[in-house]
Amino acid sequence: MISLRYIPLILKQLYRRPARSGLTLLGVATAMFLYYAVQAMHEGVQAATEANAEDTTLVVYRENRYCPFTSRLPEDYGRRIANLPGVESVIPMQIVVNNCRASLDVVTFRGVPPEDFQSGMMKDLSITEGSLSDWKRRGDGALVGNRLAERRGLKIGDRINLGGITVTVAAIITSPHPQDQNVAYTHLEFIQRSAGNADGVVTQFNVKIQDPGELDAVAASIDDLFREAQQPTTTWSEKAFTARAASDLVEIVGFARLVGWGALVAVFALVANAIILSVQERVKEHAVLQTLGFHNGLLAKLIVAEGVFVSLAGGVLGLAASAAVLSLGTYSFSVEGLSVNLEAGAVTVVAGLLTSCVIGVLAGLFPAWQASRQEIAACFRAV
Amino acid sequence: MAFIECRNLTRTYTRGTNAITPLDDLDLDIEEGMFLSLMGPSGSGKTTLLNLIAGIDRPTSGSLTIDGHNIANSSKSELAAWRSEYIGYIFQLYNLVPVLTAYENVELPLLLHGLTRKERHRKVSAALDLVGIADRHDHYPRQLSGGQEQRVAIARAIVTDPRIIVADEPTGDLDKSSARAILDLMQSINRDLGRTLIMVTHDPHAAEWAQKTLHLEKGRLVEQDVPQSTTAGAT
Repeated sequence: MISLRYIPLILKQLYRRPARSGLTLLGVATAMFLYYAVQAMHEGVQAATEANAEDTTLVVYRENRYCPFTSRLPEDYGRRIANLPGVESVIPMQIVVNNCRASLDVVTFRGVPPEDFQSGMMKDLSITEGSLSDWKRRGDGALVGNRLAERRGLKIGDRINLGGITVTVAAIITSPHPQDQNVAYTHLEFIQRSAGNADGVVTQFNVKIQDPGELDAVAASIDDLFREAQQPTTTWSEKAFTARAASDLVEIVGFARLVGWGALVAVFALVANAIILSVQERVKEHAVLQTLGFHNGLLAKLIVAEGVFVSLAGGVLGLAASAAVLSLGTYSFSVEGLSVNLEAGAVTVVAGLLTSCVIGVLAGLFPAWQASRQEIAACFRAV
Repeated sequence: MAFIECRNLTRTYTRGTNAITPLDDLDLDIEEGMFLSLMGPSGSGKTTLLNLIAGIDRPTSGSLTIDGHNIANSSKSELAAWRSEYIGYIFQLYNLVPVLTAYENVELPLLLHGLTRKERHRKVSAALDLVGIADRHDHYPRQLSGGQEQRVAIARAIVTDPRIIVADEPTGDLDKSSARAILDLMQSINRDLGRTLIMVTHDPHAAEWAQKTLHLEKGRLVEQDVPQSTTAGAT
């Protein structure tokens, strides 16, 4: 560590070339912005797809179908599934998305029977505005996820038309599950009619089971039940179902992370270059400092500290900007009606700051080593 | 034993394939509190001797004992600590840090001494007062004349109250009147503060301010002068 009394000296040295230091700082900020955004994508995919031991939700889909437009199951499958041992509740669900493009603002409608929804899904949700009774009473009512409401600026009573379906916002809900934060829950019948689907047909069933340890066994028994039916099923845990749907996204995020790491390497080179240039033009000045009694180790520390300061300042700027943009934008990817939020936690911010520090230290090490090896008299002779 | 004692002091360095010996088997004693000037043609070894005494270079052979310590055997970090206590260095081209004000330049060596901000302020103000530049304390080097810059450099050299002040052609870049003022100042520092002052110069007039002048040639001592009056240059 370096004593605080040297901080003004370090800052003044950085301000010696304001354009160079400013551009270096901007470069670090840009890279850290990218780093945070990529990490947010990565964490969003993890949150949406990583199973944990407490998961109790299964998704029953049409066998060999991979998107909500082609998965069509008879609604009365729900009754038969509910009779299987280990099943707590079954909710038939019709999924409609407002557009088929890749977008950060795809709206997913989930049509569910109001009574089933209240008994089967409400325990993970909480209503922050509006009321559940309003939603149950209105045929066109929608329970809107908080991130969707923030992104679209929706308020209670707003009538909105999304992809040809007009709904009225009856309540805004929050949930720890990413899938509930970006959807609009409507009445099943309403969405079936609005989307032009036949009554009695749904996209999937969400099945709550009693014992998390029985997840695979119950899934197998559901698929066995309909193995010989005209519409056979495939059943996954909810997280596995999301992971399958988001597998393309996982690859893209994996590639984006490579780009993010590349940006960090570029930042290292940028900061190192700035510090090396700075040290090279101060050879004589360093010799003067040594003449005054600054020992080699202290000189090296001062140079490394310059790297850390510029890198950390850029890191703070980039991370703050990225966190603000992602927070205000409440972005989420949508794949086959499933949502992946772009959000990262405090751990990512701390990791980003530490990464900035490490980059600063590494970038300063070589020029610091070079400067500390100089012979004082030789520096005066050479200049 | 003299305050500064050089015995068989030799410094050789290589430039390309050539070995150069600017200082060759020199013997010299300097008493504490003396104002000494070193003269001689370029390459005679004046600056090399000054750098060895200042502890910023190390002899190839021989011994250099200052205040009883043979600094020729000290490690780099020991020498750095020793310099901060014993040496104040005045350069020909001032060598102030351009991004620091006059005050901050003078404060630099004090940062190594673990003093409080208040103590540093007291010492810096006293040093700036002594060299007559207190009213320019917040000026950057680019805002000062050559003579003023050299005054700041002198304040930086004396602020830690070192036992030895070395000056490498301190008036070499100044006009006559500024040079005279700087030499007056150095003489008063030597006389009033009792500090040992060793000055390298090409200028015989500047050398007249010193109590004693040594002439070097090809790395060897060839002549010693003691002026009739040590204030001759000032009259």
